[in-house]
Amino acid sequence: MRVPAFLLVLVSDSLRVFLNRQHYCSGSNTSLVTRMVWRRSLGWRAGWFSDPAGRLKFLRRSLRESPDLKAGSRREWVRPLRRISVVVITLLAALTHTDTTAMLPPGKPVSKPAGQVWLVQTTPQFDLYSNGLRIEEQYATFTEPRRYMAFARAQSDPIASGGEWRSVPAGIVYHTTESHWAPFEENQNRSLRQAGEGLLEYVRRRHSYHFVIDRFGRIFRVVRESDFANHAGNSVWADDIWIYINLNQSFFGVAFEARSKGSGGEPAVNAAQVYAGRVLTQMLRARYDIPATNCVAHAQVSVNPANYGVGYHLDWEANLPFAELGLADNYKLPLASVKLFGFEGDAAKIETGPSSMGEGLEASIAEIRKNAAAENLPVGRYRGKLQKRYRDAIRALRGKGAYQEYN
Amino acid sequence: MTASNSQTLSALGLDVGTSRIVAAQRQDKDIQFDTQLNAFVNIPFSKLTQGVLKKERIPHLVQDAEITVYGDESERFANLFHKETRRPMLRGVLNPDEANSLTLVRQIVGLVMGEGEGQGRRVCFSVPAAPLGASEEVNEHESSLKTMLSKLGFDAHPISEGLAVVYGELEASNYTGIGISCGGGLCNVCLAYLSVPVFSFSIPKAGDFIDSSAAQLRGEPATRIRSIKEESFHFNGHFVNKIHQALSTYYDDVIQALVAALRDQFASVQNMPKLNRPIPLVLSGGSVMPPGFRDRFEKSLRETELPVAIAEVRMASNPMVSTARGALVAALSEL
Repeated sequence: MRVPAFLLVLVSDSLRVFLNRQHYCSGSNTSLVTRMVWRRSLGWRAGWFSDPAGRLKFLRRSLRESPDLKAGSRREWVRPLRRISVVVITLLAALTHTDTTAMLPPGKPVSKPAGQVWLVQTTPQFDLYSNGLRIEEQYATFTEPRRYMAFARAQSDPIASGGEWRSVPAGIVYHTTESHWAPFEENQNRSLRQAGEGLLEYVRRRHSYHFVIDRFGRIFRVVRESDFANHAGNSVWADDIWIYINLNQSFFGVAFEARSKGSGGEPAVNAAQVYAGRVLTQMLRARYDIPATNCVAHAQVSVNPANYGVGYHLDWEANLPFAELGLADNYKLPLASVKLFGFEGDAAKIETGPSSMGEGLEASIAEIRKNAAAENLPVGRYRGKLQKRYRDAIRALRGKGAYQEYN
Repeated sequence: MTASNSQTLSALGLDVGTSRIVAAQRQDKDIQFDTQLNAFVNIPFSKLTQGVLKKERIPHLVQDAEITVYGDESERFANLFHKETRRPMLRGVLNPDEANSLTLVRQIVGLVMGEGEGQGRRVCFSVPAAPLGASEEVNEHESSLKTMLSKLGFDAHPISEGLAVVYGELEASNYTGIGISCGGGLCNVCLAYLSVPVFSFSIPKAGDFIDSSAAQLRGEPATRIRSIKEESFHFNGHFVNKIHQALSTYYDDVIQALVAALRDQFASVQNMPKLNRPIPLVLSGGSVMPPGFRDRFEKSLRETELPVAIAEVRMASNPMVSTARGALVAALSEL
């Protein structure tokens, strides 16, 4: 028996509603089916009109009588009739034994909840957000869309089990530009402006960061948010779910026009820059669901695979104002490179003490000792085992074309 | 002629865009389109020049000590006099910096809609959806155009540009889907379900933004950039020169802004209908014309999580006239 396609789709939808209650928890199933049947039949009947204006006229007129719009005003006798018709159609479907799987629409993807910060205005010159964040657009450029492979920690051996391709931004790495410096004084306005402009031209050409916060607290977009930027080099970080290797693709790069170690011991960044960093962090975290523990300093993630040393780059090795950026003190977090892959820190080179990555280094070394003891291995041998795991991870990334070479 | 035919002929669709004005009307079973540049150029007044323009039937106005040539001819005269054409509209609405913007739009509308009074003919004219934070400008623009067309004797009704694209291109899906019009001043977007608009919005990044940004970057006049864009630019990953490279950069910027705005709009819309099957998305407008645009747009779209599945991303059958066509369909459906 040949059944019209319209009827089959309609039947499959009806069955879906009856069988799949969790999608339709509000309102009665019968009324939902009525609406669906009505919509399907409306679409089908609209197809009778070959003239576009006639079809539009029909749809508009019919929608004025829509059950969605006039549910409360329907005459009571209509409902039982509709219910009966739905039951009859459902029975018909059961009798036809026709496979309608191909016609079933795909499941609705889950929508992410809207964040607390939203885009208020977008112009060619700037984007304005509801938390007061203003991003200047004149230096914006692009690279390629973000795509990276992360390793799932839930697996017993995350590296051996293979990574997973992802494209959502996972975190933020904070940098200092370590660029040309002028005293932050009124009589230096010209030099300050020139230094900022020169820096922005330079980082734009090299696609160095996603955002730069200049010394007046202005935020400039460099590489757009959907793309990767060349900001992190060889690097490692992990959260509770994923292990990230080489963070150019997975993390945003936010650079403060600053030097980590000011010549006169002055703070690396001024109040305007800190405020800008705070509203930018707030926006990125709200928009991309970024956990606070994935907002870290470049020094915390940077590694040198040639000698298995941490802190190859040392920007923000200390004094990143986490609290003022609206974050917990992430310097206390163990370094993923040490804990998971056996990298080592050079105590003579790395700053120690409060508000420095030395805290995280100590915490991760303590974990290494504990884990080595648990496996009944000397610490050195345990480290060697972890370093082999890093090499395996790099091999896995290379094998899947997910590894970017760095000098 | 039957009464029905007479009614059909009396309806008009009008796309009042930043760079072009297009009129659509039905001729038998076909649709006839008339289009003019929405631009003008001022040249010094002389009786001789005026005489030549009259003789050659070149549309112009004489104001003060200047002659204003408008419509398609403005570009030719701009080249002759080494000037840039000017626009009566900016970013989708009447240009507040041009004192005679409405007068000029009226003159150009006269060119595409034909001589004579409207005689009560129904016309649906396109208006942009409000860009974020600029709804008042759009309301004023809509009101000015409606008054102007009413004074010309038309029964004028506004239609959102994105919705017009849906009506012009998505008949096969019963006017369900996303219509996007990338013009000179704005990109307009509308999601419609069974002909009913669910949301409409616009972003102020479009063709003019690409031209002016690339011009600024490369130190070239915007008209030259526009001409290169229209004649030889295409997305293929290999750019023959730095202008093409700059155009690609700013095109990408527009595409990214458009996709991001679409994602944000989906996230914020309330009472979203249950679209339980993939919907089509159609691209129209002059700025989608470069070869490869569709692929580039689709790539960006597929990388973004939207709460609805997109069945296909396709180009409009004729991207330059989709809005006018949809406006005509809307006008005819109301007869």
